[in-house]
Amino acid sequence: MSDDLDALERRIDLLRAQVRTAARAREAALARELRGQLRKAERAWDTLVSAPPQVAARPGEQEGRVAVPVRERVHRALTLLGVPAAGRLVVSVHDAFFAEPLRSSQLTTLRRDEERTFRRSPYARPHYVCAALTDRLTPARGLLAVSTWPQERRVVGPLSPRVDFLVATVQVAACAGRLDDPSPAARRLLARMARNVPDAGSGFGEPDPERVAVAARAELAVHLEADTRQRAELAQRAAAQLDEVACLFGAATLSDVARKGACA
Amino acid sequence: MSILTSLARLRAIKEGVAQPIATVRHCHLGRRPMVFVPLRLSGEAAAPLAVMLGTDRDAPELLVVAQPRNRDLRFAFTAELARVLLPYVESFLGQSETVEKKNADPYQRALDAPQLLLPNPSGVAFTRLLGRSTRFRRPDGPYPVPAEVPLLGRWLTYFAERAAHPGSSLTLAATEELGRHWASGQSGLEDANLAALLGWISPPPGRTGPQAAQEAEDPLIWPPAGPATDPGFDAEVLAPAIESGTVERVTEALRTQLAPTWRLMWQAVDLLRALPEGASVATRWESDRGSFSMMAEQVAEGAPPQARRDGAVAAASRLSRMERAQAAFEVQRAYDDPLVMAEYRLTGEAFAGEVIETDPEHTEGEGRSRKLRPVVLVKTDDPVRLSPGATLGTPDRRGQAAQLVDVSDGLVTLKITKGMGRGRTPAPGSVPEPGERVCYTSLTDDFQGSAALPDRDATPWTHGGPPQEYVPNDEDAQEEWA
Amino acid sequence: MATVGERVSGLDSLRGTTPAKPHDARAIAALAANPGCARRALMDGAGVDKDAAARHLGFPAPFGQSPFAITRGNAFEALVKADGCAELLRLLRDVLRLPIDEVAYQDVQNVGAHLRHAHTRTLFDRAARGEQGTLYDHPLLSLKIAGHTAFLEPDVVAFQHGGRFHIVEIKSFAVIDGQADPASVSAAARQAAVYVLALRTLLEELGHDPLLVAHDVVLVCPENFANRPMATLVDVRRQLAVLKRQLARMTSIDRLLAELPEGVSFDLLPGEDGAPTRSAEALAEAIQQVSARYAPDCLSTCDLCFFCRDEARRDGASDQLGRQVRDELGGVATVEEALALADGLREPAPGQEEIARLLRDAERLRRECLA
Repeated sequence: MSDDLDALERRIDLLRAQVRTAARAREAALARELRGQLRKAERAWDTLVSAPPQVAARPGEQEGRVAVPVRERVHRALTLLGVPAAGRLVVSVHDAFFAEPLRSSQLTTLRRDEERTFRRSPYARPHYVCAALTDRLTPARGLLAVSTWPQERRVVGPLSPRVDFLVATVQVAACAGRLDDPSPAARRLLARMARNVPDAGSGFGEPDPERVAVAARAELAVHLEADTRQRAELAQRAAAQLDEVACLFGAATLSDVARKGACA
Repeated sequence: MSILTSLARLRAIKEGVAQPIATVRHCHLGRRPMVFVPLRLSGEAAAPLAVMLGTDRDAPELLVVAQPRNRDLRFAFTAELARVLLPYVESFLGQSETVEKKNADPYQRALDAPQLLLPNPSGVAFTRLLGRSTRFRRPDGPYPVPAEVPLLGRWLTYFAERAAHPGSSLTLAATEELGRHWASGQSGLEDANLAALLGWISPPPGRTGPQAAQEAEDPLIWPPAGPATDPGFDAEVLAPAIESGTVERVTEALRTQLAPTWRLMWQAVDLLRALPEGASVATRWESDRGSFSMMAEQVAEGAPPQARRDGAVAAASRLSRMERAQAAFEVQRAYDDPLVMAEYRLTGEAFAGEVIETDPEHTEGEGRSRKLRPVVLVKTDDPVRLSPGATLGTPDRRGQAAQLVDVSDGLVTLKITKGMGRGRTPAPGSVPEPGERVCYTSLTDDFQGSAALPDRDATPWTHGGPPQEYVPNDEDAQEEWA
Repeated sequence: MATVGERVSGLDSLRGTTPAKPHDARAIAALAANPGCARRALMDGAGVDKDAAARHLGFPAPFGQSPFAITRGNAFEALVKADGCAELLRLLRDVLRLPIDEVAYQDVQNVGAHLRHAHTRTLFDRAARGEQGTLYDHPLLSLKIAGHTAFLEPDVVAFQHGGRFHIVEIKSFAVIDGQADPASVSAAARQAAVYVLALRTLLEELGHDPLLVAHDVVLVCPENFANRPMATLVDVRRQLAVLKRQLARMTSIDRLLAELPEGVSFDLLPGEDGAPTRSAEALAEAIQQVSARYAPDCLSTCDLCFFCRDEARRDGASDQLGRQVRDELGGVATVEEALALADGLREPAPGQEEIARLLRDAERLRRECLA
C-alpha cells in the first residue's frame, strides 16, 4: 500500500507542477484537464490513506446492546411533541430527552423509506413516520408526522405552523419541568423556544418551564379555534379525495387528488 | 491621490515596474516584528481557520482549527494563539525608561514595543473581530475559556485600534505601507492584492511588473493573502479535508495557502527595511511605545476590557485625537521626504529654490526690543501660491520659523522670525548662504491643543448624559459563540 | 423609435442560438452599476450569459462562492424560518409591531415550480383584498427586463392585515455591536429594491395600489457572534429610484442597437453538449464592436471584467487606473498621451494647457527629488 502511496504522491507532485505551468501559459483547457486528473489522484490518495481497517462499531452498538432504529427514535421524539415537526426540531428534541444520538442526515430518506415499506405491506407495522399534508393535500416540505395520529393532526393549514410550534413548546416545557436536572441540550432547546413566545421570560436567565407553558398556552388560545376548524375541513377533504397511501404520505400531484375523486 | 502619484502610476505602466513615491521609510520597522497572517472561514464573521505567525522568517508557527464549526476547537485555537502572542507582547515590558514632563506625573515607557505586521487592511479588521469575540470571555461560568483568551482579546483589540491611528506603527498592513512608498501601474483596488502589488514592485527575474501582477491574480499560483480564502480552494481542497476529519490533512492544506503569503510578507519587510528611515519616525514610535506602556499598565491594574462602543465624549475625543494625528503625520512626512513635499510645491503651499542673496544681520525694532530678522531672497521655479505675511517653516532648519515678505517673478523674499537666538549676529549656519538650496512651506507641525471636550461626567444630555461606568456583565461573557 | 417587439427581436438575434440567461435580483441590481457601459447594456439586454462568454474568451470571471458561505447562508435562513418561522415572527412583532393573531403562513414552494408564479399572484391578490395571510415563504415574482421576463424569489414577504407588504431579506453576514459590513448592507438593499419593484408591479397589474408595498424592507441578520437573528428596517427608496431610472434607460438600447454594424452577433454557437463552438477570436471581435467603459470597480460586479481590463491595458487607456486618476488627468485618455505631455514631447490640445502644465511640473519635481 505504501508503494502505491509513494507512486501517487509522485504523480500528484508532477501534476501540480503541470497545472501550474499550464495556468501560467494561460492554457485554460489543458489546465482544467490536468486539474481534473490531479483531483482524481488526490482522491485516490485520500482513499488509500483514510481507508479504515474495518468498519468500527458505533457507540451504543457496543456491549451487545441493540440500538433503537432511526424510525423508532424519530417516532419517540414526534410522540413527545404530539404535532408534525421538521427534522431539525425532531433531532433537537431527541438530543434533549433521549440518550442515543440522532443526526439530521439520518432523516433525509426516512419518509420515502417508510412510504415504500407501507406500500409493500400496508399496516404491517403498528406505526409509520409519515408526512403532514398541505392545503393542496400534497406532502408539506420537510414535516414529519406519525401515522396513528388522527388526520386533523396530520394536515397543516396556514395557522398550523404557529399552533404546532406552541403545542411543541408546551410539551417540551412539560418534559423539562418533570426532570430534576434537565440536560444542557434540553435547557438550550427550552430557552430557544421560550425566546420566541411572548411573555415566556427572556434575557439570559434560565426560562421557567411552568411560565413558558403558560405563555405558550395563552398565545395558543388566540389561534386554536380557527386552526382547528381549518384542519377539520382539510382532513375531510383528504378523506374524501385521497387513497390510504396518499392520506399518509400525501398526493404527489393534483392528478392523484383527482384520481380518487373520480373513483369515488 | 495626487497628480504626482498619478504620474508615477502612468510611468509604472510605461516602465513595467512600480515607481517610488517616497525617498525615505515613513513607518517604524522593529527589530523583531511579529508577522501575522490570519485566515477566516468563509461565510462567518469571526471564525478563525488558521494563522501563520512568528518573528523568525525561517520558523513560522502554524495554528489551525481542524473543524472550524466546533466551538471548543475555536477556543482551543485562541488559547494556542494567546500562548504564542502574549509572551511576545510581554517580552517588551522588561525594559523601560522614566519619562518626566512638565505639569504631569512621570511615567514609565517601554524602550521597545511589539509590532504586528498583517498582509492587508481586511486582516486588521479580522483581528479586531477576533479581539471583540474573545475579550469578554471568562475563565469561569457557563462557557469557561482558558484565562489567556480574554487577555489575548484585549491585546488584539488594542492592536487593531492602533492600526486606525494615523502614523502609528504598532500594527501595519503590508499593502498599505507598500502603497505609501511605491506607485504600481494598476488601480488602488488591485493594489489590495499583496502578491500583485509586490509583483509590480519587485517582479521576479525575467518578468515584468504587469506579468507578475497578472500571475498573482491566479489563486492556484498565489493563494489570496487572507483573511478570505479562495472559494475554489474551499470547495476542492478544504471541504474534503475537513470532511475527512484528519487534522494533518487540514493543516497541510492550509499551509499551502499561507506559506506563499508568509514569504511575501518578509519580502515586503525587506523592501521597506531597505529604505532609510524618515527623520520623524522615531518620534512617532516613541508615542507608540508610550501608548503600549499605558495599555500594559491598564491590563496589569485589572481595568475592564475595552467597551463594546465608545460613549459620546470618548468618541468625540478619539475623533479629535485621530484628526490631529492625521494632520501631524501628513506634515511630518512632507518635512521628512522631499518627494512628499513635492506634492505641496505642486499646489503652491511650498517652494524650493536657490538662495541668491541674504541680509543675515538685518534687525527690526529699536533698543531692547531690537531683534535679529535675517532676510533671505530665494529664486524658485515653483508656482508659489502664498501671500505676504504667511508663516513658513523649513525642513532644513526645523527650529526656525520665517515670514513671507514678497513674491514676484520666481523671487521670494522672506525673513527669519523665530529660532535666531538673542545674539546680535546669527550663529554660524543658522542663516542659509547664497547658493544653498532651501525649501519653505506654510505647513507647520504646531497644532492647537486638544479640543475642549467636557469631562465624561459632564456629558450633556443631548449626547445621552454621563455614560454609566462600563462594567462587562454576564451577558458579554455568555454571549453564544455559535 | 423601435417598438418593443422590434427591440426584443433585435436583442434576441444578437444573442443568437445561445439560450438566454435569466436575470436574478442580484443581476438586475447590478444593472445600476456602471450605467454608461454600452457593451454591458447590450449584453445584459440581450440576456447573454456573460459568465460563459468570459470563460470562452479565456478571461473567466474572478467570482466564486465558497461552499462554506453557501452552507452558512442556507443554515441561517433555515434557522430563521424553523418552527413555523418562530424567530421571524418574534422579529416582526418587534420591528413591524405585528399583532399576535397574525401568524398565517404560506409556503409557496409547496406548489410545483411551474405553478408558483400563478399561485403567488392568487395569494397576493387575496391578501390585498383583505384575506388573512401574514408570511409568504419564497413567493415567485416577475419583472420585465428589456422585453424578457425575469423571475425573482424573495426570501419572505410579510403582509400586515390592513397594513402593508414588507419584503424580508435574510442575510448571513453578521451585525456586530450594531455595525455590519457597509458593502454587504448596500448590496442587500439594492437586491431588496428589485423585489419591492417587482411586487409593486404585480399589485398594480392586479388593480391594487402599488404603494401597499412598503419601501422599508426587513433585513434579518445574525447578531454578534451567535446565530441569533436580529431584524433592521432598511429604507430602500434611493435604491428604488436608481433602479427605476436604470430600467427606464434600458430603452436607450434602441439607439445602441441601431448603431451596431450589420451582422454583429454575440452568439456562442453552443454545440450538442452546450459547449461553445464559435471561435473565441470571432467572439472577441464581435464584442469589441461595442465599446465598453471599463473601470476597476467592474472587477467586483461584471463577469466580463478581465476581458475589458485586458482591452483597456492593451489600448493604454488611463481608465485602467480608476476614475480618480482619470479625473485627475482631466480627460487625457491614454497613458502615452499623458506621459508625452509630462515630458513636453507633445503640444497640449486646446483645453489641455492646464493639465499639461501640471504634468510638466510634476515631472520636473519627480526628477529633481529622485535624482
